[in-house]
Amino acid sequence: MTHIAPIAREAIHDATVAALVERAETLGVPGSSFALVLARMPTYAKAVLEAMMRSHFEGAVDHELKEIIRILLAGQAGSRYFGNLRSVPAAQAGLDERAISAGCEDYERNPRFSTKQKLALRYADQMYLNPTSVDAAFYAELKQHYSEAEIMELGAFIALHYGMQVFMRTLETAAAPGESR
Amino acid sequence: MATDPGAIDGAFYEALRRHYSEEEIVELGTFIGFNIGYHTFFGTLKFYPMFAPDGRLVTQEESARIYGDAPVSLAGTVVQAR
Repeated sequence: MTHIAPIAREAIHDATVAALVERAETLGVPGSSFALVLARMPTYAKAVLEAMMRSHFEGAVDHELKEIIRILLAGQAGSRYFGNLRSVPAAQAGLDERAISAGCEDYERNPRFSTKQKLALRYADQMYLNPTSVDAAFYAELKQHYSEAEIMELGAFIALHYGMQVFMRTLETAAAPGESR
Repeated sequence: MATDPGAIDGAFYEALRRHYSEEEIVELGTFIGFNIGYHTFFGTLKFYPMFAPDGRLVTQEESARIYGDAPVSLAGTVVQAR
């Protein structure tokens, strides 16, 4: 449940918003509950849902890595809803819970992740816990493995999803959407 | 929401509803969340405020001289969720 209830699907009168809600559900992220809350404000729903899905499912950076990053950030933001969501395309590509847990825990010492992947995970991990560590030296290190376009893709993805996760966290009641308790 | 999201609870949303419609609350929450995410990201890029404290539009170089090594967008925006 959420403090602002998701709008009933039949109350959506904008075909673009309705299609975005359906896509959010089909892809698994950002899921129908968040999309239906946003749908109360159709102009925002169009922009934000489109940006969330485009930043997550498109671009040059590996989608499975971004899915691990998204779940790591949900833990920091304290959003059970977003932490419980899973990208359907990422799962179909083989991303499993062991890989997700590995990325959300001590990824720095885990040999399953390359130096390049660890840098992206650190970028997300430190962005809000210790933003001053994401400094010029860190960006110089990122540039050794990612193009500037890829760094902007990652940074914008992290910022947008984390921001929406913090908002959703405040909306979540004792039992988040999809939870039985 | 930025510094103590745990304080934004059911009672707070009830208080909001006395002054704002649910549509307006979604608008506010989305706007705030967007800014929480992007201000810190821009801060790491050394993206300085466009305006001086007196309201003048300034260059990034002048803004850096005014605001120093720690952009103001980094201050007080870290969510302590853990």
